[in-house]
Amino acid sequence: MSACRENELDALLAGELSDEDAARVRAHAEGCAACRHALTWLRMERGWMAQRARRTPSRPALDFAALEARLAATAEPSVVPHRAPHESPWRGWRTMLMGAMATMACFGLGLVRSGPTTNAEEPWGAEVLVAASGEACEDAAAALEARVGACLIATPGLALRN
Amino acid sequence: MKMVLAGAPPSDTDGERALLRRARAGDPAAFRRLFERHAPGVWRFLRDLLRDEEAADEATQETFVRAHGRLQALRDEERLGAWLLGIARLVYLESRRSRGVQVDVEAEEHAREVEAVLPTPSPEDLLLDRELEGLLTQALGTLREERRAALLLRIDHGLPYEEIASVMGWSLQKVKNEIHRARLSLREQLSAHMGGSRP
Repeated sequence: MSACRENELDALLAGELSDEDAARVRAHAEGCAACRHALTWLRMERGWMAQRARRTPSRPALDFAALEARLAATAEPSVVPHRAPHESPWRGWRTMLMGAMATMACFGLGLVRSGPTTNAEEPWGAEVLVAASGEACEDAAAALEARVGACLIATPGLALRN
Repeated sequence: MKMVLAGAPPSDTDGERALLRRARAGDPAAFRRLFERHAPGVWRFLRDLLRDEEAADEATQETFVRAHGRLQALRDEERLGAWLLGIARLVYLESRRSRGVQVDVEAEEHAREVEAVLPTPSPEDLLLDRELEGLLTQALGTLREERRAALLLRIDHGLPYEEIASVMGWSLQKVKNEIHRARLSLREQLSAHMGGSRP
């Protein structure tokens, strides 16, 4: 049967072949015992699957009202942000990166407010560190840290020292 | 003349395309019609993959929630059925992963060229009684997941080989090989329970 291409017999039964191909396959099958045998099986298989499909039971999932309720629930904004099982694990990293960037912005703001440093070899002078750890930045960083569950203040400092 | 495929929904292509256009424009009645047309097949596909009716309920709903949100992404309107079954398969794979299921039982990994010894079915064999249906379901369950999915897409859902290749992410040749092997395995398992004559 492998030389006779069962998929062509299958396509013949499904009406997927062109007229020319259908005539060719049909003519071959008439003179080939293996193909006639395979055709019998293929017809039976189709009959079985059709009977099986007709017996598809009535299930709650096939009720459109259930789907409508689910769609409505999906459309409602979630009060508590949560991570869905299929959500990308990189989302957490993106949040952390955004947090780190925001913290760096706080440092930068402190730098501007503090004016130029007096020591060219010490760009991150003591006054900058004081400004960077000021109240506003502390609050913002604390909020971000709470959100992403990581210490963000240390991150830019470490990066700069390296 | 085109034959009606086993479990495929009626092939009213124009009507379906019109429904799809309306559903995309936000017509809930049109989406409902599409759901009613395709949900039984999607459920059956998921039941056959998951082998659990309640899990198939959940996965069917999830499939249509996702489909509803992505209707605009469907480019070829004639392939709605294949598209839905493709989403269903992804939902199944995610469900399997979340349940920590590893690999399928590869009971029929070594499909053999057995057609030469299979009996030719008798007319009585055409009737799928409850016992034979149970055996058929059992035989399907022994197939490796991917092979089972490909076979079902063909024999139950009537997808052309090219569309199965697209859903499974396989080459056309691989689809043909896998389906052929799956068929041989099914026949081998079922032939012992049937009458008929040996060729």
